[in-house]
Amino acid sequence: MGAWLDEPLSWGNALVLFLWAAVFLLIVLGFVTYAIYYERKVIGWMQLRVGPNRVGPLGLLQTVADIFKLLIKEDTIPRKADRLLFILAPALAFIPSFAVLAVIPYSEKLYFADLNVGLLYYAALSGITTLAIVLGGWASNNKYALLGGMRSAAQMISYEVPLVISIVGVILLSGSLNLKDIVTAQDGGWFWHWNLFPQIIGFVVFFIAAVSELNRTPFDLPEAESELIAGYHVEYSGFRFAFFMLAEYVYVYAIAALTTVLFLGGWHAPAPFLDFVPGIIWFLLKFAFVVFSLFWIRATFPRVRIDQLMSLGWKVLLPVAIANVFLTALWLELFVK
Amino acid sequence: MIRTEELLLNVGPQHPSTHGVFRIVVKLDGEVITEATPVMGYLHRGTEKIAESLNFTQIIPYTDRMDYVSAMTNNYVLVHAVETMMGLEVPLRAEFLRLIVMELQRVASHLVWWGTYLLDIGAMSPFLYAFRDRETIINLFNELCGARLTYNYMRVGGVKWDAPPGWIDKVREFIPYMEKKLQEYDKLVTGNEIFLARIKGVGRYDAATAIDYGLSGANLRCTGVRWDLRKDEPYSLYDRFEFDVPVGSSGDCYDRYRVRLEEIRQSLRILRQAVEQFPQDGETMGKVPRVIRPPAGETYVRIESPRGEIGCHIVSKGKAEPYRLKFRRPSFVNLQILPKLLVGETMTNLITILGGIDIVVGEVDA
Amino acid sequence: MNGKGLLQGLGVTLKSLTAPKVTTSYPDVPIEMPDRFRGIQHFIPELCIVCNQCARICPTDCITLTGKPNPDPEKKGKVIDTFDINFEICILCDLCTEVCPTEAIVMTNHFELATYSRDELYKDAEWLTDNNTLVRQDNNNIGAPGKGGAK
Repeated sequence: MGAWLDEPLSWGNALVLFLWAAVFLLIVLGFVTYAIYYERKVIGWMQLRVGPNRVGPLGLLQTVADIFKLLIKEDTIPRKADRLLFILAPALAFIPSFAVLAVIPYSEKLYFADLNVGLLYYAALSGITTLAIVLGGWASNNKYALLGGMRSAAQMISYEVPLVISIVGVILLSGSLNLKDIVTAQDGGWFWHWNLFPQIIGFVVFFIAAVSELNRTPFDLPEAESELIAGYHVEYSGFRFAFFMLAEYVYVYAIAALTTVLFLGGWHAPAPFLDFVPGIIWFLLKFAFVVFSLFWIRATFPRVRIDQLMSLGWKVLLPVAIANVFLTALWLELFVK
Repeated sequence: MIRTEELLLNVGPQHPSTHGVFRIVVKLDGEVITEATPVMGYLHRGTEKIAESLNFTQIIPYTDRMDYVSAMTNNYVLVHAVETMMGLEVPLRAEFLRLIVMELQRVASHLVWWGTYLLDIGAMSPFLYAFRDRETIINLFNELCGARLTYNYMRVGGVKWDAPPGWIDKVREFIPYMEKKLQEYDKLVTGNEIFLARIKGVGRYDAATAIDYGLSGANLRCTGVRWDLRKDEPYSLYDRFEFDVPVGSSGDCYDRYRVRLEEIRQSLRILRQAVEQFPQDGETMGKVPRVIRPPAGETYVRIESPRGEIGCHIVSKGKAEPYRLKFRRPSFVNLQILPKLLVGETMTNLITILGGIDIVVGEVDA
Repeated sequence: MNGKGLLQGLGVTLKSLTAPKVTTSYPDVPIEMPDRFRGIQHFIPELCIVCNQCARICPTDCITLTGKPNPDPEKKGKVIDTFDINFEICILCDLCTEVCPTEAIVMTNHFELATYSRDELYKDAEWLTDNNTLVRQDNNNIGAPGKGGAK
């Protein structure tokens, strides 16, 4: 599929690309719909409840009903809000979340943009969403939203740094920023060839920073419902609110896919004799496991405090990530070359 | 130099972590609180004034609604006051039933606190785990007196209902069940590093301050003051049972947390003894005159509610209605230290500290 | 910060994933209350002697009743004419059933009072008489004269 991008742009090609993007958007929306269902079910079971079970068989249409409700809801804009920015913020939050998905390879054949700076592209675009959250918080003209937005800015900036540095180790090992090449470099037949084991420190830092980037428990300070009520999106309703939520879940998709690609060997089977299973299945299994871990953590942990969050980011994660880069470089220099 | 402004923020009355309709007006410098003014009274119903036109039996349902997570102890403080004034004797079986329900109530009340405190701190699951186990107690109460929250169980001179057949055995089964669940709680929460980092050293005060502010209950014991009315001024049958009064040492939210969890264990210990010593048969209602008219005079009694010292002051002119009725409500008194604790803390700690004090707004506002 | 507590917590939630669920399926499956449950009252006009005790003991004054002379001239006393409970303010405290000397008013296990209008919360004698299912068996009216309790 990625090959389409290399061909000269003609009307036909443009149409095909557009259609693919539309199909992909539908797939992502489907993922978000059922990720929310999955999350509510998993958390429900962990809390000794049954989770959604009223709308549709087994409650499968619950999220559809919720989204429909959000869409037909009255769209309110506070009178004293900064109208333009208030309207802009949800869109600005969603667009980069969808755009980062372009670089993720699902299997050897199934990928969209084969970008040779894929990882950089991801890190750069995902930073824009922070801006949208700050804008949304500020434009709402609400004190809780402002606090949430400010927290978000501080948090995202602090965790973007260890997030990116933690993957430098992976880049050193595979010698590429291209996500497809990174997966190919993890091919050795067995699961210990995945970056997870040689880069275990990097993986831990990456995972913590990623959860923080997602604004999920235990790092959900921007929306901390017990302190800031809903934080930056407290004034949003209807489909604008839906867009914020959508962006959040698309990032869950993106981070889970990125974790799979960077550390869990992408589409590779964990053992050579399991090769008969198609790569995409392995990808989806690993992906689902990462998503499950996020929900699992949410069902278990309390929220950290903002100052502890900052010290964790700067005093623990960042030095550890940098040490990881040095160790990886040293190891490569002494034993591999 | 950037010009900065203080931010005036209304936390409440509609806020998920103020445990009801309670408001704190905070002045924020960034996220740091420079001044906090609690505003209460949104749930004021004038219980004490209403009581002046009701007879004592009629007041009992009103006490249910003061501290609605611990209605049994409120029932008790009122009937205990009237019984003290009139010099009534309560049959042993009734007194045992009262003691058992009060200790069950203490466990239930601390479970509500535990669950909602963790909810304040951001963990969702403990709340549902706590309510699962509280439900067992609530069902026991429902079988006993036909209500799940506002029990209206005690009467002057005894209790309304005798225990239904098999009820005591259910209480007996509940004790080991709850002890097992407490271990699960410890695994889920008490050892959690994020949780410990959130509450250790937060909202600290020393014993002298606590006494100056008139704090009681876990809020006082967390500073190391071993003061529990069940031990120091035994009422009901508490002098018959062995139990310890858990105390903390540093007076922070973590100590309050530990003291409360340990109190659940001690309550279970009392319950175990009470169930063993429960009399086989006997009356559940003492000899009480048709119309309850305490002699003219005044009485103040105090007991240990899950939140601290709850007192009842009755002024009687020899009529069926009290001339004046005053409750010393522990939530209200404990809350007074809040503005002092909040200065210099962050927004996040506001929730942690407020939750740690364990208020019930129905009792604060009465 | 060694993470042991965090892992233990994760273990507890993972175990709960497959544990039996504790929630009920109300309203699909009605909740069965124990016999002593204090629900909406059932009224039996034939038993009522219009002694007015229930209205007097009610802490919220939600009961209003009137009596009329017995239509049978042979008999003395009054019979009930109107009997209303205002469920806007009734707190189901059980005191009215406790004092009733003839058990003309008893509790049932019904508790569903939600309506679309406040007017529907005024229940009259007819409605209360028809509310005759799941009536409480054990009434233990300790306050009633001539029946134990008030010695």
